[in-house]
This record gives sequence, C-alpha cells and structure tokens, in this order.
Amino acid sequence: MSLEILAAGVVMAGLIAYAMFGGADFGGGVWTALASGPRGARQREAIFQAMGPVWETNHVWLILVLVTLWTAFPTAFAYLFTALFVPLSIALLGIVFRGAAFAYRHFGASEGTELPATGLVFSVASILTPLFMGFAIGAVAGGRIEVEDGNVVSGYVSPWVQPFALACGLIAVAICGFLTACYMTARTDGALREDFRRRALASSVVLGGLTTAAIAIAYWNAEAFWDRLSAPGPIVVMLLAVAGGIASLIVLWRGLWPLVPPVAAGTVALVIAAWGAAQYPYFILPSERISDVAANDTTLRFFLVALPIGSLILVPSLVLLYWTFSENTDPARRTTARGRAQR
Amino acid sequence: MFDTVTSARALMGLSLAFHIGFTALGIGLPLLLLLAEGIGLKTGNPLYREMARRWSRVAALLFAVGAVSGTVLSFEFGLLWSRWMEFSGEIIGFTFALEGFAFFTEAIFLGIYIYGWERLSPVAHWLCTIPITVASAFSAFFVISANAWMNQPRGFELVNGQVSDINPWRVMFNPATPYQTTHGTLAAYVAAGFAVAGVYAWAMLRGDRSEYNRRALVLALAVAAVATPLQIVSGDLSARFLARNQPQKFAAMEGQFKTEKGAPLRIGGWVDVNARETRYAIEIPKALSFLGYEDFNAEVRGLDDFAQDEIPEPRLVHYPFQVMVAAGFFMLFVAAWFFVNLWRTRSVRPGRWLLYAILAASPMGFIAIEAGWFVTEFGRQPWIVWQVMRTSEGATPREGVWVLLIVFSLAYAALTAGLLMLLLRWRPHLFEPRRRFPEVPRVT
Repeated sequence: MSLEILAAGVVMAGLIAYAMFGGADFGGGVWTALASGPRGARQREAIFQAMGPVWETNHVWLILVLVTLWTAFPTAFAYLFTALFVPLSIALLGIVFRGAAFAYRHFGASEGTELPATGLVFSVASILTPLFMGFAIGAVAGGRIEVEDGNVVSGYVSPWVQPFALACGLIAVAICGFLTACYMTARTDGALREDFRRRALASSVVLGGLTTAAIAIAYWNAEAFWDRLSAPGPIVVMLLAVAGGIASLIVLWRGLWPLVPPVAAGTVALVIAAWGAAQYPYFILPSERISDVAANDTTLRFFLVALPIGSLILVPSLVLLYWTFSENTDPARRTTARGRAQR
Repeated sequence: MFDTVTSARALMGLSLAFHIGFTALGIGLPLLLLLAEGIGLKTGNPLYREMARRWSRVAALLFAVGAVSGTVLSFEFGLLWSRWMEFSGEIIGFTFALEGFAFFTEAIFLGIYIYGWERLSPVAHWLCTIPITVASAFSAFFVISANAWMNQPRGFELVNGQVSDINPWRVMFNPATPYQTTHGTLAAYVAAGFAVAGVYAWAMLRGDRSEYNRRALVLALAVAAVATPLQIVSGDLSARFLARNQPQKFAAMEGQFKTEKGAPLRIGGWVDVNARETRYAIEIPKALSFLGYEDFNAEVRGLDDFAQDEIPEPRLVHYPFQVMVAAGFFMLFVAAWFFVNLWRTRSVRPGRWLLYAILAASPMGFIAIEAGWFVTEFGRQPWIVWQVMRTSEGATPREGVWVLLIVFSLAYAALTAGLLMLLLRWRPHLFEPRRRFPEVPRVT
C-alpha cells in the first residue's frame, strides 16, 4: 500500500474518532436544546457533567485531522478551504462559541458567577457546527467542487448548497444526537436513562431515514458518488453499517446498557467508513485523486513513523482519561457517586 | 472594503494576538500548579493545595479559550493563507504534527487534573501536573519552531517553484529555532508569574495580607524572578543572531537607516521615514555595534543598504521593540526589588509602592509578548517565508475575507467581554477553606 493511501487512512480514522468522541459533545448541545419533560433540567445537568472532563480532548481529534490534511495533503487542504470558505467559516464560528460557552458556563457554575445565555449559545453553536461540517463533507462527496489547473473555480455556495450536501449536514447532526443519547444511557439509570433511551431510539430512526434519503438523493444530485457507491467494497461497508444500526436498536430495546455505547460508536464509524470507501481512490470527487493532492514521500514517511510513536503516549493517556471519568453523571446521584469514590 | 491581503493580515494578527495571551498562561500556569501542589504535598500545608485548586479553576477556563482560539488559527491557515499552506504544509507539517501530539497529551492530563480533585489520590493528582507542564512547553517549542522556519527557511530545495528534498529535522532545527523557542517559552513563565502576582498584590493593597496571599505572591514572583533574567539574556542572544542572520529586521528594530561603524544604541525616539533617520532618541554611543557584534566599531547595516521592496516598515518594528525591552527591564527591576526587600526584612511585608509596582508589572509580561511578536512578524515583512514567498503571494484567492474580519472581530469582542465579566467578579485571593466543599454524606 502506498504512503499516500495510508495517510488518507489516517485522515479517515481521525474523522471517525472525531465523530465518535467530538460528535457526542455536539450531540450534548442538541439534547441541551431539546431537553424536555419533568426531568429536563436533570438531562441538561447530566450531559454537562459528562462532557466536562473530556470535551477538550475530544476536540483535539479535529486538530489531528487538520494537521494531517495540511501535512500529508497540502494541495487538498488549500482546495478544500478555498472551495468551502463559507461553510467552514461558519463551522469555525460554531466551534469558538460552543467551546467558550461551555467553559464560561462551567467556570460560572463552580464560582457562582454565571453569565446569561451561555446555555443557549452552547446549544445553537453545537448544532450549527456539525451541520456546516456535514455540508462541507457533502460537498466533497457530491462532486461539485471544481478545480482547474490547480485553482478552485467553483463559487462560494454552489458546491454545498445542493440537496445532497444539505442532507449530509442533517446526517451529521443526527449522528451527534444519536451518539450522545446512546452514551448517556450507560451513564444514567432509572427514569433519566429511560429519557435518553427514547431519544436514542428516535434519533437512530431519524439517522436511518436520513442516510437512506441521502443515498436516494445522490442518484440525481451526486452522480459521481452514486456511481462509486455501487462498487462491491462500499456496498459491503454499507451493509455492515445497516447491521450496526439494527444492532443498536436491539441493544437499546433490550436494555443491554454496557453494550450500547460501543455498538453505537461502531455504527457511526461504519457509516463514515462507507463514505470513505465510496470516495476511494478520490480525495475530492469527481476529479482529485488521493495521489494528485498528496505531499512528497519524505514528509509522508516522517509523518507515518511519528504517528505510532506518538500513539504510545497518547493511547494509554486517553484510556486513563475515559476510565477516570466513566461513571454515572446523573445530578441526583452524584453525591452517592462521590461518596463511593471517597470510601 | 479592505483587500484580501490586508484583511487576512489583520484577522490573522487579531486571532494570534488573542491566542498568544492564553497560551502564555497555558504554559506558565501548569508550572505554578506543579509548584504549589507539590509544596503542599511536601510541607502538608493546606494553603498550597487550596491555592492550586483555585488556580486550576481559572486554568480550566483560560485553557479552553486557548484551545478554541488555537483551532481558529488552524482553520485560518486554510481560510486566509491557503496558498502559503499549499507551499509550506508539507515542509512544516511534521512540526505541527508533533505539536498536535503534545497538545493532545496536555489536553488529556488537564482534563484529568481539573476534574480529578476528588477522584485521584493527592500524589497521583499532583503527578498530572508534570505531563501538562512538559507537554505545554513542547507545544510551544514546536509551534515557535514553525515560526522560526518562516524566518530562516531551511531543509528543502526549490527547483522551478517545486519543493523537493525535504528534511524535516533541518526544518525543525533551523538556525532561528534555538533563539526563538527559548525566548518565546521563557516569556510565558515571566508573564504568568507576574500576572498571578498582580492578583495578590492587589488583594494586599486592599488590606488583605493573609498568609495565603503572602505565600501565593512569593511563589508567583519566584517563578517570574527566575525566568525574567534568563529571558533578558535570551533576548540579547536573539538580537545578536538577528544582527547576523536577518539584518533588515535588526536595523528596523533599532531604527538604523544608514550603514554605520560604531553605531549608537537608540532608546525610544521618533522614526522619521521621510528623512530616513530616528530622531530624538537617547543615543548610547557605539553601544549598538557592541550589542550586535561584541565590537564597539563594528559596522551595522542600515535599512537604506537593502533592496527597498524587501525591508520591513521600521515604525511597526522599532516602537514595539522599545515597548518590549522597557517592559522586560521594568519586570526585572520589580522582581529584584521584591526579593531584596524579602531578604532585608526576612518577611513578606512589601510596602505600598512595591505593591503598586507589582500591580503595574502584572500585565507587562503580556504586553512584552505581544510587542515581541509584533517585532518578529512585522520585522519579517514583506515576506511570509523569508526571502522565499511574499506575504501577498500566500493569501487565499477568495475575496470577501473582510467579512470574516468583521465577523471575527465581533466574536472576539464578545468572548473578551464575557471573560472580563467572569474574571472581574472572581475572588481567587479569598481563602475560605470549607465554603465550596461541604462534607460529602457517606453511603455504606
């Protein structure tokens, strides 16, 4: 396997990790906005507590994707940020505001200096960011980014204001909501868990519907993507993703709580992998192959050697982080949880 | 509105100016946490643990803003400077990849540290400060070394406009790297030390001379007092490096227009670009030649000696340089005053004037960092990669960057306003041991 294909695999893996971890943080904003019923405040608080220690780390996956892009695919990085100037700018604004709002809210809560509207800003920004990132991904897959002689010639909106790209934006938001609801069922219990279970079931149905719709839309709005989807590789991954979706429904329905987060995360990984498999060997459909936009071999080799060495430090640290904070975050139960920790 | 290059420069400048302040604390505060919690463990004095706990709250807030404002920069590499990154990405990318690892490690242990007060044993909790301190210093090294490469681009060949023969080690360890990374990283410890000290000096001025405040003040100033003289030495080494390797920047810093043997050191002054001289400065005869070349009669090249479309605007370099140096020496003076006072009285009883001086020095570290960064960036102009690529050639082909400039200016204003509202009501100097941590009911 050539170096640039490996590096493209790193981009894909980074995006999957960002979706699995960071996506759940965005979903936290979705369910903060949609918190409802007699336990609405407890839903918000449980999400807030669960995100606190991990959101900054989850966010670093995005940095990893960006760094990999400009190191291993500098040409593609330039094309993407030129062609997707508008949606990426809006996604960036969302990242800034949601991060700041979360941090301000957390500081305010612990020091008794709350600011107004941080919850609202956090929610709105958490929905806008995956929506516009989804638009951007839909534009890459949809084949509307036009490059001629090394220059992006498509306009500010034409690549992503397309039915297919818009559907991808909605899918991204649905993925986030689905993940958060699933993850929270493993960190709560009783009635609160039931709330999140219902949200998880609803969002898995929405996600399934949207992805089916997107494939149908691709038939007439993203021809290049449609053509590639019908190859054997992508079809296998897609079928696996469907199986994952069904498995998620089963574990949610049967209440097999410890299995819910890994099955949900695996389903999302397969959905994104299906997109990646359909794109291969193109970096930006329909014209830019992975090899067209890759950096030179020396850079790729250094990068690909540094990656496993860095992972020797990173992976155990990540395990330590998630292990330290993997317990129940229901506010009604927090005192007992702390009591346990003390004992 | 503004053209693309002007808007992109303004927005990048704004974004970096905003980000740099948070990174200084992101590098400096972990060292203070390491010391405070470590002293608490060693001596058993609960004041220090409480100190670290209170600092860690604001650290969580500031690091978060630092993280998102850093994300802004990585997006802006593409949104504003896509042509620069298309050229430079594969050259400096490896450096950024290593920075990514360092930042990742920092974020992980920071999460554990800040949220783990109740979950980890005291020693395990303290141990988390070590990877945070080390990783944040490494982050600074990698990022600044990428900037150093923009000043001294090495480790690649350019054949017909195509990059080849990349050597990532030579890129990372380019000639400017040791000077810039040392100067940039030490600056963070100076700034963090004085910023924290200012909080406690202010509390003492308001009459609260509790043991907690005195100990916090000494600890913060101790870090600053070690870092500040080292920083001034590293600044001197950097200036000598520039005199030899980036003489245009050196001349602009010093307001030197004419090439001159035995050039004087100019302090302050007014840079008259029309008359091509720096007027009304305090001139120390032959000192500039000596500082740059260790020889009172050495020749210092002036700006007029270079191609006029390849020199920086001297007013944007000379004035910030004066500000940086002045701030540095003022902080050195304050730190010396405090510790001489401490040594003579054998107690922490700073007088009012000393406390006012510490308060005045409190923002000086940040002012010096921003000014120093102005010097290095404006001093490199008109190049984005020195003598390889002009800044105007690196910008995005997109128009409408001015819209982003306006939108993000408003966003930064909102973030700053929110931050000020939070911090101005914060009272880190009030030591109230049991207020926030009531007894937890035990469940058996």
